[in-house]
Amino acid sequence: MSATTSTLGRRSRRRTGGIVAGIAAYLITFLILLPILWIVLLSFQSSEKILSNPLDLSSLSLLNYVHTITSLPLAQMYGNTILLAVVSVTIGTAISFMVSFALTRMIFRRRRLQSGLRFYLLAGLAVPVYILLFPVYRLDLALGVFGSYAALIIPYVGVSIPFNTLLLTGFLRDLPTEIEEAAIIDGAGLTRLIWSVVLPVMRPVIATVLIFNVVYVFNEFPFASILINNPDMTTVSLAVSQFQGQYSVDYGGMMAAATLVLLPQLVIYAIFQKQVIAGMTAGAVKG
Amino acid sequence: MIWLSSRWKIAIMSAPALIVFTALIVYPVIYSAGYSLTDFAGFGDPAFVGLKNYIDLGNDPFFWSSLRNTIIILVVSLVILVPGSFGLALLLRRRFPGGGALRALVFAPTIIAPILVGLIWVFILDPKIGLLDRLFGALGLPQPEWIGGNILTPYSVALVFIWGSVGFAMTIFYAGLQQLPADILEASSLDGASGWKQLIYITVPLMKESFAIAAVLLITNVFKIFELVFVLTNGGPVHRSETLVSYMYFITFNNQQYGSGMALAVIITVLGAVVSLGYLLLLRGRKSA
Repeated sequence: MSATTSTLGRRSRRRTGGIVAGIAAYLITFLILLPILWIVLLSFQSSEKILSNPLDLSSLSLLNYVHTITSLPLAQMYGNTILLAVVSVTIGTAISFMVSFALTRMIFRRRRLQSGLRFYLLAGLAVPVYILLFPVYRLDLALGVFGSYAALIIPYVGVSIPFNTLLLTGFLRDLPTEIEEAAIIDGAGLTRLIWSVVLPVMRPVIATVLIFNVVYVFNEFPFASILINNPDMTTVSLAVSQFQGQYSVDYGGMMAAATLVLLPQLVIYAIFQKQVIAGMTAGAVKG
Repeated sequence: MIWLSSRWKIAIMSAPALIVFTALIVYPVIYSAGYSLTDFAGFGDPAFVGLKNYIDLGNDPFFWSSLRNTIIILVVSLVILVPGSFGLALLLRRRFPGGGALRALVFAPTIIAPILVGLIWVFILDPKIGLLDRLFGALGLPQPEWIGGNILTPYSVALVFIWGSVGFAMTIFYAGLQQLPADILEASSLDGASGWKQLIYITVPLMKESFAIAAVLLITNVFKIFELVFVLTNGGPVHRSETLVSYMYFITFNNQQYGSGMALAVIITVLGAVVSLGYLLLLRGRKSA
């Protein structure tokens, strides 16, 4: 009898514990999201209200958005950023895949060279982009591409290689080679082997690489701030840095602009959540 | 696959990435290191000045204050983030309705562009328009200068960094918790270890690796903090709130003292490399263990 009550007691204690933990989890998540909710709320308030009484829900309006959409070249900003992302991520992923395939599947005369080259590329993970800013700026000038999209595409491709190689060689090393060997025996050449055998099985890791790189290009600021000097070529993150100057006292407008940049990012994240998290924490899991 | 591995096929597959990587990453690092030994100011020929730029930095009070700010941010973030995000991972590991959605939402700040994170927090920390001082005012508390003052700015930057990283760190711990051997936990709870005891004597020691990885990744990220400072204070007033990277950016691109800026960039890289090396040694230790 007493045994039953004690298990019952333990079970109900565990259940209350679970409820408390659940409430705590919701509360903490709410606190973490509060800053985002706050700027979304402000984006519906007039600037005077933001300074006097931002919590007054009766004065919310869409005026900031109307003003922002008409004054800010949003479509152009997104167009520029998407162009940069598509070109640099496609090139970066393609050449990283090629070198990763060579480093894990092809047979070098000198084995040492093969593992040495992989280490050479991975060492790039330790290089902070800040040391690259000035040399890349000079390199762009020397190549005569400064002021064009190529000025940014080139460093974005370069910076993506170490991380892509880490992920792709890691995946390829764990992937059994039997199917590939069978395909070769059936007479597949290199191109055929890559297109119809290797790439289809690599879809998940390539998705992770693509999405991680797209997020990087969308968020990238230091290179863009130095290598873009033409207002027509402004990227999304560069535009955000100008909001403070552009809307100096129009806080409502600034918040509407920030929300218009924020929401697409969150929507993309919601759709590709799994790959985004996998990409951003891959360094931790793969080592 | 020897018959696919002719010399020119290997070359075609490897050359593009190796060339781009060498030209855009390796060459610039060497170039920066070389320029850090010159007095280059954007025009004319750079003259070799030896270690002068490094010595000048050693005598520059703003270098030391930006190093101090970086260290404050580092210590404050680690002390709060590591246990905090581990606790959050423990909490979110429990089963309750909507748990998966909460894990995704907590990660959300990590994907927001750092420059936008900075802007969001201006509207919370700014003494004139920020939410925090408004709340403090309403509660009758003093309204400190969270950003732009002389004292609090690095702590505020740390707070914003923590906000942007908590989901990232939580996810690393969460992944680590998922990989814990279930039988050990079960055995220990059968032996009567419960709650805190199990956490302190079983879970935390088993999670050593996750703690090390989270700590090292967070440290390297602190050394990269730039946009937050750029938007929150732009290093001001008078460089008092600079971090190493934001000060480097200022010297190089605002003052155009390229030699001295590159010297600082080299210092930041070496600091980061020392940490990464520690990370690699740690992983090697893990493999032999």
